[in-house]
Amino acid sequence: MKKNEFVNQLAEYCEFETPELTLDTPLKSIAGFDSLAIMSIIAFIDENFNMKLTALQLQKITDFNSIILLIGEDKFEND
Amino acid sequence: MGTIISKIEFYLPESKLTNDYLSNEFGRWDADKIELKLGIKERHMAAANETAGDLAYYAAEKVLKGYDRNKIDMLILCTQSPDYFLPSTSCILQDRLGLRTNIGAFDFNLGCSGYIYGLAMAKSFINSGLANNVLLITAETYTKHIHPKDLANRTIFGDAATATILEKSEEEHIFEFDLGTDGKGKNNLIVTNGCLRSVYDPKAENKITDAGDVYTDNNLYMNGPEIFNFTIEAVPIVVEQCLNKNKLTLEEIDYVIFHQANKYMIEYLRKKLHIPKEKFYSNMLYTGNTVSNTIPIAYADTLVNGLIVKGNKVLLCGFGVGYSWGAVIVEV
Repeated sequence: MKKNEFVNQLAEYCEFETPELTLDTPLKSIAGFDSLAIMSIIAFIDENFNMKLTALQLQKITDFNSIILLIGEDKFEND
Repeated sequence: MGTIISKIEFYLPESKLTNDYLSNEFGRWDADKIELKLGIKERHMAAANETAGDLAYYAAEKVLKGYDRNKIDMLILCTQSPDYFLPSTSCILQDRLGLRTNIGAFDFNLGCSGYIYGLAMAKSFINSGLANNVLLITAETYTKHIHPKDLANRTIFGDAATATILEKSEEEHIFEFDLGTDGKGKNNLIVTNGCLRSVYDPKAENKITDAGDVYTDNNLYMNGPEIFNFTIEAVPIVVEQCLNKNKLTLEEIDYVIFHQANKYMIEYLRKKLHIPKEKFYSNMLYTGNTVSNTIPIAYADTLVNGLIVKGNKVLLCGFGVGYSWGAVIVEV
């Protein structure tokens, strides 16, 4: 998966309502980013990367880039 | 010889807490989105002077209607909201229900996995010859543990009680169990104060979650993301192991009932396990997450609505606080 595809797919999965999201869009600025979205992020990463992010890790996410760093950049193709 | 579920009933307290009420009270909330995502529209709440013992009594009276209560020779109550530290609420119920005195009665403390463990004990008592007719009750009033400003937990949890009669039968209807425990998860769903490790503190300080919900150590605290992580790890394994122990495949199971934690979580588990939608129970719209009550409520509901019929094999799976989990296959 390419990083930009990750942004789009995750945003669709979480049903974020803010359009034109980028890797460094602050998550807290996104309409629909709430505790339910955190569950969706866990589910999306479990489904696509077969890994679990802990609550402590999830507390530190700020944008899509920070989620990619937690998953591991090596899991992504170059854009 | 074996054990069979012969009767099952549930009781919901009268008072209801609706999404619209919560939406008005908190103002930071989309009632429709909550209903869509969590699958909950309203939940019942025990009154201030109504305990789990009361709810248990009402549920038990319903199931004992038309049944010779002198036949009951074991009473088991699953609750984490007992009426007293001591005595056991089950002992009080034995008297209040007018059951015989030469029977066993005891409480056990489990949450969302409790019904599975209750079935395991009932089956063990009956198959060992220690009892013939077991009254298994689940009763919970989690809403009393929740801080009034904790919107997330007030949204999810509701109060209820259920009563099941299990009897000795010609053939076995309660098949093999798979059970699991991991106490490392204790801090992720806990009421810290109130018992003897840490007594109730009237001056306990307010804590605020990332989502803005308020709680103190006297209240119920749930770390949602960690509970979700635990669930998506433990449930697929316990389901697979339970099927293996019973030498059955998912295709041979007629219906699946999971603990109704919330719609989002169980729908994710359903997809992960490739369980067809038409044989998977998902309904907590008018009850919310009622902890150990969700599985028996679902079982009663599916029976009444003809979703399961005599001879069907039903997989039941409970998981949550502890962490504690378990699964079993029963034949209706």
